[in-house]
Formats: sequence, structure tokens, C-alpha cells
Amino acid sequence: MKGSLKFIGSTVGLRACGPRQGLKLAVLAIMAHAPSTFAAVKPEVGFGLPRDVSQNGHLIDWLMNITHVFNIILFVIMCAWMAIAIFKYNQNHLAHYDHGSSKHSVTVALAISAVIFFVVDGNLFVNTISDLDKEFWNFDKVAADPRTVRLEINAHQWAWDARYAGPDGKFNTEDDVVTWNDIKVPLGTPIYVQLTSTDVIHSFYLPNFRVKMDAVPGQINRMWFQAKEPGEFDIGCAQHCGTHHYKMKAQLTVLPADEYKRWLELVSPTAKRAYDPDDKAAHWGWDWKEVY
Amino acid sequence: MEHVAHPPGVHPGPTTFIRKFIFSTDHKVIAKQFLFAGLVFLAVGGALAMMIRWQWAYPGTRVPVFGMLLHRSGGIITPATYQSIFTMHGLIMIFFAITPILIGAFGNFTIPLMIGAQDMAFPRLNMLSFWTFVVSLILIVTSFFVQLGTAAAGWTTYAPLSTTIGTPGPGQTLVVAAIFVTGAATIMGAINYVTTVIRLRAPGMTYMRMPLTVWGLWLTAILNVLFVPVLGAAALLLTLDRAFGTQFFIAGAAAINGGGDPILFQHLFWIFGHPEVYILILPAWGIISDVIPFFARKPAYWYKGSVFAMVSITILSAAVYGHHMFVTGMNPLLGKGFMTLTLIISVPAEILFLNWLHTLWKGSNRLTSPMLFALGTVFVFGLGGLTGLYLGTIATDLYLHDTMWVVGHFHLTMAAAAFLGSFCGIYFWFPKMFGRQMHEGLAKAHFWTSAVFITLVFCGQLLAGFAGQQRRLYDPYQYTFLTNLLSLNQWTSYFAFALGVSQFLFVINFIRSLVAGEKAEQNPWQIGTLEWTLCPSPPAHYNYAPIPTVYRGPHEFNNPELNKVLGRDWVGQAEELPPVVAPAGAKPAAGGAKS
Repeated sequence: MKGSLKFIGSTVGLRACGPRQGLKLAVLAIMAHAPSTFAAVKPEVGFGLPRDVSQNGHLIDWLMNITHVFNIILFVIMCAWMAIAIFKYNQNHLAHYDHGSSKHSVTVALAISAVIFFVVDGNLFVNTISDLDKEFWNFDKVAADPRTVRLEINAHQWAWDARYAGPDGKFNTEDDVVTWNDIKVPLGTPIYVQLTSTDVIHSFYLPNFRVKMDAVPGQINRMWFQAKEPGEFDIGCAQHCGTHHYKMKAQLTVLPADEYKRWLELVSPTAKRAYDPDDKAAHWGWDWKEVY
Repeated sequence: MEHVAHPPGVHPGPTTFIRKFIFSTDHKVIAKQFLFAGLVFLAVGGALAMMIRWQWAYPGTRVPVFGMLLHRSGGIITPATYQSIFTMHGLIMIFFAITPILIGAFGNFTIPLMIGAQDMAFPRLNMLSFWTFVVSLILIVTSFFVQLGTAAAGWTTYAPLSTTIGTPGPGQTLVVAAIFVTGAATIMGAINYVTTVIRLRAPGMTYMRMPLTVWGLWLTAILNVLFVPVLGAAALLLTLDRAFGTQFFIAGAAAINGGGDPILFQHLFWIFGHPEVYILILPAWGIISDVIPFFARKPAYWYKGSVFAMVSITILSAAVYGHHMFVTGMNPLLGKGFMTLTLIISVPAEILFLNWLHTLWKGSNRLTSPMLFALGTVFVFGLGGLTGLYLGTIATDLYLHDTMWVVGHFHLTMAAAAFLGSFCGIYFWFPKMFGRQMHEGLAKAHFWTSAVFITLVFCGQLLAGFAGQQRRLYDPYQYTFLTNLLSLNQWTSYFAFALGVSQFLFVINFIRSLVAGEKAEQNPWQIGTLEWTLCPSPPAHYNYAPIPTVYRGPHEFNNPELNKVLGRDWVGQAEELPPVVAPAGAKPAAGGAKS
């Protein structure tokens, strides 16, 4: 299937389809000059974490999993302790008269608490600080990377508008590419997002990338992510934003770099033609905010 | 006022029906009023929960039983109705079920009785507190019947969704007003509790001899006095935004001129909201910290440690609130600070938890219904505490924030622990409150069904959250990455329905025991606190005449010396011992008997 599609020159967006559909879509894609719009998001398998397709999501997964291990140990000890206490020290056992306030007892209680605190909480603390500084909140690294793709997102009831700077590299100009519930990004490249909202608070959520950030009216927030696999993924809203909160869903399409470039070149002229200087509501973009 | 032949501080007993049962100033009657109101609204909140669970198991299909309430949409929950349902489930459970039961009922009933007082410091303020609370109930109930329905912005009422931009109907305004009014009621009660504990402790009832129930309720009252006014301020500003066109919380394109700050609302809300979590759980902690030693027949392990732990948590509670806002675009340094404080709060929580476990160890544990509920509370609170670690830490919160993991976590701590803790208190004090004994077999059946199903329900929610499901989705399966969770959510719903049905075990037992329960003895649990040793069941109007003198802490069990002399394993807090025995009884009990 993949071979036949490579022949056509577009593997994008066809991963979820059977061979026959794939071919049909590929044909349609050539006709419509919009290869990926037909591809669907693949469902997840099992009850665990959604598949991680990000360059740094494994850090969060590891931290959650190691904490699971600690927690399971603590939970088993707690259960065993309670079970033994209930069955062994039942009403036939004469209670041991002890206020637990001797120096020895207090030391033991404090020592146990300290061990749990320094191992479990300490591990969470150290790793989070390092993950945030090196990755998730390290915007200097992303800003300095020449490959970085910058995106402005405007959330509103109940959709996600995305804005690409276009050939001039500046936002809120006539050559901006603006999409609706459809965000395309290149593979293996940092995607630096600044986002806001025009009505109520929303939250931009990428489950397969383990990140989210609130879109708050009157404020420009930022986040970044980087894909390590091409494909189609759900974008969700994580903050209750009104009646159709559950339908505020968009699609993230990760394209190989050359595909992405081609797509951008394809849509840029259309964007320029569609620009209407009088439609003020459409000019929701802002000058990229370099300093926070 | 016509008090003549009474000792100072004692008011004449009421004689008319209205003064005795309706507009009563007796703390025990007010406690019962809060209890009944709380139980009714617990049922309402529970019914709303059942509807949410139905929607997640069978989205968009006709709701059985409760469907008749949705006649306009043919028995189907619409997206608009759905958001009102989960909003009101949260608000009703927090402000109109747990608060009246744990704080209104147990606070009123136990504080004066357990510290040896004849009533609250301000009995009339106490009455006003209840009737102000009733006004808020009327506002809440009214909100269901106005155009566009009741509130729909979530229990957190985040602006601007909670302004007229997101929820234009009068229902949201009524609910915000109800929160303001119920806040006023809470503050009146809290001022009363704080003052009563400071001023009206019986002679000898030092702070370190108070039952931990009183400690929990007292700290809760302090938090209420400090932080409910902040909620009141937020509610007032929100009302101005909704009704008078101000823009405190409106910004962006939705603001007409200049604009306010939506995040300001979250700061106001959570500086109240996080202490609120402890406001709800501290009374339950206090109750189980007493009930566990009572039925382990053993002194509470490191009593002072438990007190210090609860005090430190109370102090820290307002300093950690920012962990609710990690993904709002908070300054990174501030975020890390809030994370550090949040992780630190786990130390006192661990100490409290270890003290419960240590009290059980080498005890003579009796699995009565209050003890079972106390152990259940420890169990679910343990799970809730462990699952909270992921949310107090920023990196893992980036993924889990606003997912069902959060819902599962705070339900285990705030809902399951407060729920089981409330029933622990109800089964424990019912004989003293109503002078009748509840049916122990039904109580145990109620425990096992409730504890098992409540754990399964909230663990099911944790799993859905771990798989990424966001909160508050009308139909989660709109998202492709969540389609595989349908069966998980259905099972969780089945457990929830079973939990709901099993509550009838309590309803039957409660009504049966009120009407035809066995007459309770004065001290059926064989415990040394004042209300059980000195008051008949139920206590007389003024509780104590004369006011007792207290000699020791509340958990003096199985003191080998005293067992020999007294021929029983407990000793009353106000029990005067023969001079030969007293020093021996007091000696080893540095933390309990003497301090």
C-alpha cells in the first residue's frame, strides 16, 4: 500500500485507510490539491496512555510510570498494614497501651514520612524542574532554533483558528495562511504556538503530545511541541467552554518537511486572494511576541 | 429576655413547637436541621451524578427514571442540559450536601457537646446561619425553573463563561447569588464555631485534650472565616459583571472597552477553592481520627502529631492554590513555587495518615459500622492522596490537567472520603442525636456496597483520565482517541448505578431507626468523651448542668493500671479517679492524659 502511494508522491493522510480507499483518496487528493484533508485520526488501542508521537512526551510518561511504581508499593503496604491490623489485632487481642508520643515513636513516624517525601515527591520535583527547564518551558531553545515554525492560534466557541505567518514571516499581514480546525505542522521541527481566545477560556490539548495550554481572552499564552511521527491526531479542548465544548475538536496533521513546504506553497496564493482588508474580525492575529 | 432562674449562660428551654423545632436556637436541633437538609440535597446531587453517568455510558439516549424530568427533550439529555447537570452536581454536593452534613450538622452537634459547653457561643446567630442557608437553597431550587435553565459554567464558575457572554440566563445569576448567600451562612456558623471553641471549653478541656473531631471542625471554621469572604468577593464582582455591565473578568474581543482579567477570577476562586478542599475534608479527618482509636480501643497514636499535621495543612492550604492554574500561562517561577509548596503539604498528610495506621497497629480493633466507614475513609483518602501527586507536579499536570484523572482524584479525596467520613459520623452519633440505635447489619451492608462501588467508580474515572479523556464532555466519543473508552465508561457507570441503588440501604435504615429503632443507651460504644459519658441519649436541652471538669484526653483506652481498678478498658474524660490511681493513670500519657 505504502509503495503504491509513494509512487503517487503522497503518503500523507493515507495511513488510516485500506488500500482501495487509499488509492481513491490519493486520486482525490491530486484533484483537490489538498492531500491530507481526507485522512482520519486513528483510534487508540487499549485503556492506557494514547500513543506518544512527540519528541519529549516520553519524559512525562516516564515520570508518571515511575510514580505509579512508587504509589503501588505504598498502596500495597497500606492495604497489608490495614489487613493485618484488622485480622491479627482483632477484638480478641488486648490493645497495646501506647500514645505514640515517645521520642522513638515520633522519630519513626517522621523518618517514614521523610523517606516517602524525599523519594516520591523528591523524584517528581527534580524531574519536573529539569523537564520544564530543558524541554516544556524552554522557549529560548525553541526561539533560537532556525527551523522553528511559529503559529498563532485563536480559540473561540467552538473552533480553533490557526494562523501561519506566510512568506513575509510576519503575522497579521495579508499573506497569512489561516486555517479552521485544521492544523498542519512539519515533522521533527519545533512548533512554537502562541494562543489566545476571543470569548471564553479554552484549553489547547494535544493528548498524543502530552501537553496543553489554556487560551485566555486578553492574554497571549505560549507552548511548544515537536512531532516525531507523521500522521493525524486529535486536538481537543480541555476547558469547559459552553454547550458545544465536546465538539471543539480539530485535527493536527504532521507532514514530512517537504510535504509541509509544498502544502504551504500551495495555499499561500489562495490566502492572499482571500484577504479582505475590511473584515476586521478576520485580522485577529498579533505581532509575534518575542519577549515574555 | 425572660431568663430569671437560670445559671449564667443558660437560656430558658423553648416551649412552643415553632421555637423548639423550627426557629430553634438549640445547637442540637440546628444540627438535625442541617443534617436533614444535607441528606436531601445529597440525594439530589447523587441523582444528577447518575444522569451524567448515564450520558457517558449511553450518550444521547433516553434516560430511564429521571427521563421524566427532561420532558421537553423527550427524556434525552441535551448538550445544554448536560452542562447544567454537571455544574449543579458539583455545586450542590459541595455547598448543599457535604458542607451542611459535615460542618453544619456535625459541627453544631459535636462542638458544644464534646468540649463541655451548654450551647454555641451565639445561639441566635446559629439559628440565623441555618435560615440564611435555607434562603440559598430556595435560590438554588428556583434557578432550575427559570428561562434557559440553571447555572451551566461548571462548579468553578470560571469567567468569562460565567458572565453573560457564556451563560446569559437568569439561572446562573441566581446560582451565583445562592453561593454568596450560602457563604454568608457559612461565615456565621464559622464565627460561632471559632468563638465557641476558644471561649466555651469546660474547665480542664485544654486544646491538647480536645477530641480530634473538634480540632478538625475548628480548623475548618477558621479556614471558612478567612476564605469564604474571598469567594463572596468573587461572587459579588461576578454578579456586577452579569447584572450591571462591569467588566472585572471580561477581556479580549468579548470586552467592549478595555477589558478585565479572566485569570483574576481564578485567583480569587482558588484562594478560596483550595482551602475549601480542606474545609470539606478536615471535619472528616477529625471524625475518623477519633473513631479509629475509639474502636481500636487504643489511645490515638501521636495525638499532638495529628494536631500539628492538621494545623500545618490548614496553614499551607491557601499557599498551594496555584496548582489549579499551572496551564493558565502562569509565570514559570510562580508555578514552580506553587508546586514546591504543594509537594510539601504531603508531609503533614503522611504524618496524619501514619498516625491512623499506627493507631490500628496492636489495637483491639472492633469492626463496628462507624469503624468500617472510618477505615473506608482511610482507604479512599490514601488512593486520593497518591493520585494527587501527579497533579501537584507541573510536568505530569501538563498532560493530566482537566482530564478525568483530576475528576477521579478529587472525588476520591473530597467526595469518597467526605462521603464515607460523613456516614462514619452519622452511624457513630445517631444514638446520641436521636436516642435510638441504627440497625448494625444494614449499616454494614451499606458500608460494603458503598465502599466497594465508590472506589470502583472513581478508579474508573482515573483510568479514563489516564487515557486522556477531558472533563465535562457531553459525548466523549466525538474524539477518535477516546472511542475505545466506551466500554470502560460503561462499566464505571454500572458501578455508579450500583452505588446509587445501595444508598437505599441507608435510607431504609435511617427512617426505620428514627421511627422504630431500639432505644439507645447512654454510652453504647463504651467511650470516654463527654457527650457519651455525661449526657443521656439524646442529651438534655442544656447538655451539661453543672459544667463538667475535664481531667484527661479523649482516647484513654486499655491503660493497664486503670483497667485493673475500673474493670473496663476506657475512662471518661471528666471521670475523677481515686487519688491512689490518678498519678499512675496520668503518668505514661504525656500526649493524651496529661498536658
